[in-house]
Amino acid sequence: MQTKGIKRQIGWLYVLPAILILLTFLIIPFLMSFSYSFTNYNILTPWAKQYVGFTNYINTFKDPVFLQSLKNIAQFVIFIMPIQVGAALGLALIVNKKRPGNTFFKISFFAPQVVSLTVVSILWMYILNPDQGLLNGILGIFHIKPQPFLTSPKQAMFAIIGVSAWQGAGYQMLIFLAGLQNIPDSLYEAAELDGANSWQRFLHITLPMLKPTSMMILTTTFISAFNLVIQPMIMTQGGPQNATMTPIYYIYRTGFTDRQLGYASAMSVIYGIIIIIFTIIQRKITNAGGDENA
Amino acid sequence: MHKFMTRRRFHVIWTTVLITILALFFLFPLVWMIVSSMKPESQIYANISNFKAFLPSGHISDWGKAYVSIFHRFPVMRYILNSVFYATSVTIGSIVVNALAGYGFAKFNFTGRKLLFGLLIALLVIPGTTLLIQQFQIAKTIGILNTPLAVILPGISSPFYIYMFRNAFAAIPDSITEAAELDGASNLRIFWNILLPMTLPTVATVGTLSFIGSWNDYVWPLMVLTNSDQFPLQVAITNINSTNPVYMNQVMAILTISTVPLVLVYIFFQKYLTQGMGSAGNGDK
Repeated sequence: MQTKGIKRQIGWLYVLPAILILLTFLIIPFLMSFSYSFTNYNILTPWAKQYVGFTNYINTFKDPVFLQSLKNIAQFVIFIMPIQVGAALGLALIVNKKRPGNTFFKISFFAPQVVSLTVVSILWMYILNPDQGLLNGILGIFHIKPQPFLTSPKQAMFAIIGVSAWQGAGYQMLIFLAGLQNIPDSLYEAAELDGANSWQRFLHITLPMLKPTSMMILTTTFISAFNLVIQPMIMTQGGPQNATMTPIYYIYRTGFTDRQLGYASAMSVIYGIIIIIFTIIQRKITNAGGDENA
Repeated sequence: MHKFMTRRRFHVIWTTVLITILALFFLFPLVWMIVSSMKPESQIYANISNFKAFLPSGHISDWGKAYVSIFHRFPVMRYILNSVFYATSVTIGSIVVNALAGYGFAKFNFTGRKLLFGLLIALLVIPGTTLLIQQFQIAKTIGILNTPLAVILPGISSPFYIYMFRNAFAAIPDSITEAAELDGASNLRIFWNILLPMTLPTVATVGTLSFIGSWNDYVWPLMVLTNSDQFPLQVAITNINSTNPVYMNQVMAILTISTVPLVLVYIFFQKYLTQGMGSAGNGDK
């Protein structure tokens, strides 16, 4: 249908700027991560850069902090998925019903999304402050004793999960809402005539009809959860006792703060491959029956 | 019948109350942020466990004090302008560069197009966040560290946005562009005067997502900028939050200030946001 097979080389000119930038800031860095990962490259002593074979890769599996960071991100992913996506679906169902004050509710649920992660992280640091924080103040009203939150290795990651879900649910609510509004009313009317109660209608009409939307939200939440870095970076610096250290943050700390580019690159490669595998699986799932034409 | 009505009304009131409580759960941190910026720090702590935590100071003259102080202590206006400049540059750059690439892929059969487009699709799965330190090495090598270019350039090109533009342009029949060509319009004229206006929703989606992404970016500008005069707001506020003396009301003031522009963007461009869902978590910054 397009271009009719006539070679028109001027097309190169149009794709060139984009390709050059991608080459510089995505493709070359990607290749660099492989080549650095086999060296002991340290930015402070670049002259001593040597080929060290698989040493860095072997060391990652013996590095308790890196292993801990993988465990932490698994914990984050496993909990954020049902909490955030479940909350988003629940909120969408609430605002999908016509009731007084609906616009106010919709704006309220969406409001945290408008705030940047940096602001969210700083704000919640004050709210979760164990000594003079707002949340312990509120809990005090209900005679619940003060909680350590971010200062406790047990609670810190859950606090970050809660904050992240609070921030992110509103956006997904909007997408669920769009999905809900695409379900034809006639389906519900027919079910009502057949005597289906509201729970049965939800189970047999709403959920199946929402499946494509749900799959898209679940898979994108899943992949983006792996990139968790700003919240621990600002709220806990990965602590206490590395309880909130995430792979991206640890790679940043090792490669940028500690200047061990070789070792950090090996972790970049390992973690990058983990994400790539999950992303490909995600695309396989969401494109099943889809129309991606490459 | 009468009994049924009252029961139904009771049910409506009951659910409305529950939903209002839920709404307050989502709102209370933000309300607290704003009102805390409108009272002296000592009052924030004094009010922490009663309802006054959610009210600004009783004296209206207190409301602006933290804002005056924060503008006094830090070049806040400069940070705002920096952020506006970075985000606007990324937005314009992203629309132009990605749309041009989408145009090239959609309407020109150049040698290597298939291969290049395949590569682009492959790039969609590469997670940019794992490559921050290598990207930093590149920025250092080409000598753009501590310049606005370092903040702007990596955010301009995104495989996902190119893909979006390419699909949008491919949907426009060739007959339209060919007719313009017969009238003697140049390729760039066709792109600018015909194709871009016909794909305004895509332009708006890419523009909005690029603006928000750049405005909220934190780790990358933190890495490539060392001079605080060049900081965007997101980096500046963490800096302010760790520069002694830290006053909570002033921190809340700067948090509030940095949120206002995004509120405006969301109000005006909200409908374009849900269309870019698939971009989350990919290689683009």
